[in-house]
Amino acid sequence: MPRPPEPEDLRARGRWPPPPGRRVAIVGSRRPSPYGEAVAERLAADLAATGVIVVSGLALGVDAAAHEGALAAGGCTIAVLGTGVDIVYPRANADLAARILAAGGALVSQFPDGTPPQRANFPRRNWAIAALSDVVVVVEAAEGSGALITAEAALALDREVMAVPGSVFSPLSVGCHQLLRDGAGLVQNARDVLAALGAQQEVLDDPLKPPASLGLEAPAGGRDGLLQHLSDALMTEPGTLARKLGLPLPEIMSRLTALEMAGAVGRRGAGYVRLAPGGISRAGVG
Amino acid sequence: MATSVRSVLLRGLDVLPVDVEVDIATGQPGFFMVGLAGGSVREARERVRSAVRNSALPWPPQRARMTVNLAPAEARKDSGGLDLAIAVAICLDQAGAAAPPEAAFLGELSLDGAVRHVDGVLVAARGLARRGVRRLFVPAGDAAEAALVADLEVVACRTLQEVTGHLLEGLPMPSFTGGVADVAEAVAVDDLAEVHGQAAARRALEIAAAGGHHLLMTGPPGSGKTMLARCLPGILPPLTRDEAIDLAQVGSVLGELEPGRPLSARRPFRAPHHTISMAGLVGGGSGLARPGEVSRAHHGILFLDELAEFDPGSLQALRQPLEEGRVSITRSGGSVTYPARFMLVGATNPCPCGWEGDPVKACRCTPAAVDAYQRALSGPLLDRIDLQVRVSRAPLEALSEEPTGEGSSVVRERVAAARGRQLQRQGHLNAALTRAELRRLTGIRPEARRALERWSSARGLTARGFQRAWRVARTVADLQASDEIFEAHVLEALGYRVADAAAA
Ligand SMILES: [Zn+2]
Repeated sequence: MPRPPEPEDLRARGRWPPPPGRRVAIVGSRRPSPYGEAVAERLAADLAATGVIVVSGLALGVDAAAHEGALAAGGCTIAVLGTGVDIVYPRANADLAARILAAGGALVSQFPDGTPPQRANFPRRNWAIAALSDVVVVVEAAEGSGALITAEAALALDREVMAVPGSVFSPLSVGCHQLLRDGAGLVQNARDVLAALGAQQEVLDDPLKPPASLGLEAPAGGRDGLLQHLSDALMTEPGTLARKLGLPLPEIMSRLTALEMAGAVGRRGAGYVRLAPGGISRAGVG
Repeated sequence: MATSVRSVLLRGLDVLPVDVEVDIATGQPGFFMVGLAGGSVREARERVRSAVRNSALPWPPQRARMTVNLAPAEARKDSGGLDLAIAVAICLDQAGAAAPPEAAFLGELSLDGAVRHVDGVLVAARGLARRGVRRLFVPAGDAAEAALVADLEVVACRTLQEVTGHLLEGLPMPSFTGGVADVAEAVAVDDLAEVHGQAAARRALEIAAAGGHHLLMTGPPGSGKTMLARCLPGILPPLTRDEAIDLAQVGSVLGELEPGRPLSARRPFRAPHHTISMAGLVGGGSGLARPGEVSRAHHGILFLDELAEFDPGSLQALRQPLEEGRVSITRSGGSVTYPARFMLVGATNPCPCGWEGDPVKACRCTPAAVDAYQRALSGPLLDRIDLQVRVSRAPLEALSEEPTGEGSSVVRERVAAARGRQLQRQGHLNAALTRAELRRLTGIRPEARRALERWSSARGLTARGFQRAWRVARTVADLQASDEIFEAHVLEALGYRVADAAAA
């Protein structure tokens, strides 16, 4: 078991040590479904709005969505890097890193300045994320995903591990479901996480209330019936839609393109998924 | 007085008539061959001498000096096909007879005087008929091939003795008047009726077939990309007689035609393995280049499975045939051009591990690796492929649950009707529509045009990509027998433009 770094061992840019307050790590797949990305962003925003500091790894996908969500709520967020603190990797997140610093957050690293991205360093970085957090929430992790290393580290370090459930058909939810089966806390919304932090007792009086703060508004594209048959995590093939709706395939294809142009659906593999409105659009394609 | 007999050399699908002149004189005795004779023609001396003697025909006396001149002198000649003409010239000279008018001779001789097969008889016959030859003597086994050419009397030769007997004594020989051979009917092997699910991919195949568009299928292993591609010949109309003859010329040069049944209406389906050499793919070899897979796929389908595994240089070499419908190759023996107008159907995994985008199995590749893999395919080739679809692995339960849909014959009728509309409107398929033709002929409605423009600017399409989407929309409209392109046609067409979507 690697020795987790103490905060004073870390090289940092930005405000360090961080302001006092509870810290929650939100980690997950670098290529999440639109569902996973939307959950990470909303969860981070809701937690940040209550003053929680969101910790993540500045990777693509769930990590970036978590940082974005925290920033959108005007919160403070910490990015734990697997490179030297003077190197932003991946480059696609350079702008995000700058905004984290501008918002009073920090980039930190246990590696010397100038350390380039190296495969072996990322698991160690995941230990640091766990060490810096009170709770680790895993949002979408395929089997063998790096986010599961963070969860393992959290257990070893006696941190609370929580996970967001997904579709039983989705490979991206396999890791989360394993965690839940093994006793991780269930996260349906920010209140579940706040409860685990032992804070904000007053919000817990109605635990069965629908998780409003995670609810997605009706996607753009109006009341197109096609959308009811599309999932936000699992792709549906045009042929399946044609069969379910009893419509000719050419019509389904043209309606899907219209929805795609309106930003309401995106392509995934051989099918389409529903996109969250106003969400960050990286999940739109691919 | 020298005797001159006409024969022919092949230059790709073109011919070079050759005059074989024999002159027998006194002087230094011997048998000389002049006029840039290559190795196989120099060997002809031995074959011709043996064939003439073994046919019990007179050979010039020992002390004579015999010169065989091959004209034009500047063209290098490397073909056994001149044997028959050389032997006939010598025999006519010995008999003091003149060469028959408007006749030519083509065939290799064996030592016992039999006339043997040569490659390219159909090509030779076409070229000679165009140059005024009316009687062509060819090996008996190749006569059916030569007889495809109209306005040509084809004389089927079994032995040299038979030929000289006919020329000198008027003995009868079997002959055919050309242009009557039947076209063997196309029999489709793979039928769309056997494909479960894959509705979008089936539809993309139909559109590709209707407009002659190139198609790329991306999907995990076992998603049936090969099966789908193999269904294409069955939804295309059979080859016309002219197309069948075009294709048979390639088979003729390669010596691959079925003896006695040279014409087939079946669309060729060629699926070379990704380890194929560039020469094998586009044509090549030493001396004069031989046709490659692109020409064997003329008027048909070239299916490249595992597209990303092909040598990038070979894929690059596909650009000329994709643009011009033919391929020109220069080798030591000269430059030749072969036809190569084919539908390119590519298949590829979405990523190195193959499972990117699969609903059940997780992809193990890093996003950067997926990007690099997909980018390797882009560039010059992807830019020329009008339609790109994703296919998915059908889950096991779907194999029984999903309907199999229409059979190939139903789809083929719609394809044939759509092709008919295109040929009537512009004389060629939509895949070859130029920008000017798109503007002038395609009748796009304003809202449809706006949809194209919206898509184009959102995806950052080049003018070229814009036109590709427009062409596909034109084909979608043709499948609906619509003179105008409506917005729905454009929107459907954009659904099969995966590469545009990925570019966003
Ligand atoms: Zn993969």
